Amino acid sequence: MPDRRAEIPWLFVAPLVLVMVVGFVWPLAQVLVNSLHPNTPQGIDTAHWTLGNYQRLADPFYGEILLRTLRISVAVTAISGVLAYPVALFVSRRSARAQSLLLLAYVSPWLINTVVKALGWTLLLRANGMVNTLLRTLDVIAAPMKLMLNETGVVIALVPGHFMFVLLPLWVALSALDPALSWAAGTLGARPSAVFWRVVLPITLPAFVAGLVINFIMNMTVFAIPMLLGGARNMVASMLAYQVNLVSLDWPLGGALAAALLALTLGLVWMGQRSAALFVPGRGVRP
Amino acid sequence: MIIAINILMLGVVLAPVIVVMWMSFTPTATFVLPVTAFSLRWYREALSYPGFVDAFWLSFELATLAAAITVALSFLAAYGLVRYRPVGSGALKAFFTAPLLVSAVVFGIAMLQFVNRVGLYNQLSGLVLAHVVLVVPFAIRSLEVTLRGVPEEIEWAAMILGRSRLGMMLRITLPLCTRGLITAFLFCFLLSFSEVTTTIFMTGPGLQTLPVRIYSYMSDRIDPTVAAVSALVVLLSLALVAVLNLLGGLRRLTTE
Repeated sequence: MPDRRAEIPWLFVAPLVLVMVVGFVWPLAQVLVNSLHPNTPQGIDTAHWTLGNYQRLADPFYGEILLRTLRISVAVTAISGVLAYPVALFVSRRSARAQSLLLLAYVSPWLINTVVKALGWTLLLRANGMVNTLLRTLDVIAAPMKLMLNETGVVIALVPGHFMFVLLPLWVALSALDPALSWAAGTLGARPSAVFWRVVLPITLPAFVAGLVINFIMNMTVFAIPMLLGGARNMVASMLAYQVNLVSLDWPLGGALAAALLALTLGLVWMGQRSAALFVPGRGVRP
Repeated sequence: MIIAINILMLGVVLAPVIVVMWMSFTPTATFVLPVTAFSLRWYREALSYPGFVDAFWLSFELATLAAAITVALSFLAAYGLVRYRPVGSGALKAFFTAPLLVSAVVFGIAMLQFVNRVGLYNQLSGLVLAHVVLVVPFAIRSLEVTLRGVPEEIEWAAMILGRSRLGMMLRITLPLCTRGLITAFLFCFLLSFSEVTTTIFMTGPGLQTLPVRIYSYMSDRIDPTVAAVSALVVLLSLALVAVLNLLGGLRRLTTE
């Protein structure tokens, strides 16, 4: 057996570390530094330091955008959460082959380009789109419904687009569940609904919560779908970030916005992990 | 009830793609429902529109470069992590997968300000760097699993028989990892080829990848040409997914 210590493992790791430092750590550090400088018509004033860019984010105009972003994200996560158990239970009870086909279908939005999905939803949801045409032909509605260029359109497109982030962890947890548990609960006289509420739900709750958190984060930061289906008048946080960085070219403010979004995401991840741990059966919350 | 929810959800998940494919065959210049005749004329239109063709080749070049660089560097790093388990390998792994925690918008803003600072704005190299960082987490995870599947004893045997570590890696380890390397490459290619958000933030009109070109075309008008291009993009993704599935890579990606 060769002597491990005679060789330097760092030689293997160093190239990737270097690329990650230059392409990941440096840009993020750069944006943080930029956010602490004042913006002037001549560009970033690197001689002075300020927290003013963060104070500007407290403007009511930005508050309204944050509120809209939250509203859309909560709606998408709530709908996904309601649908997750019925879908995951259904999928986990199929044969192995059917399971992988179903999962592939549910994961496909992640493998299909976002702009293609946005185009599909536009063709479906616009005033003379397929949904309105179908419903009018069937005489269900008299005038076309406004299904896009508002928050409804964004929610409709985001639910299937981000559903897999709730479904996959839940499916893994349900697959790992010992069927003998449900059977045992049944022999002890528990009705199927009681088996679900008292056995299946508590055990799989951590995975469910973790999935909801990821789903929520994805909703908070998604860009192309709200842009193309919500339209410029229904601005969300990511569109504001685009506006500030690429239209107003106010990079210190854009940097502050990026830092705030990053802090929000990391905070949510942390809270998600904490609360998922709380739900572990035998510790903390009980049904 | 449960079956109804599943059918509804599957329909909603698959509907946008099916609609795009269907509409790309429409024979008329605007979308008229119902589609009764099928035509390939918009595919000819799309394939002769330089805006889309140039953008396709840019995306192809970008995805190839990003995937190749990522797989090469990640293979080396995964080898170091799996075989040596150096002090701090847990922290290193967390570092390599950290881009997953940073949303594409935040990373796009950071990259925009960074490439302008170092003079890489509207340069292919800046885009390659960004895409490498975005796909490294996936490459590292899948190559780690691949390398764990190669028994260390085989490597020891080759080295006892006189091979240097480099010679052993080239002649023994790499060939045994072929399938895992191809899987990682194709997956990185697919992710880079589909990337929209970070790329939109980073580049101006002079350097548009295919998804970004489709995005800006769509913001302007929606016609069967853009449906045909989108359908071709879907076909390319499906082909890659099918190959990945054959290689057994999808199972690994969905279950981890």
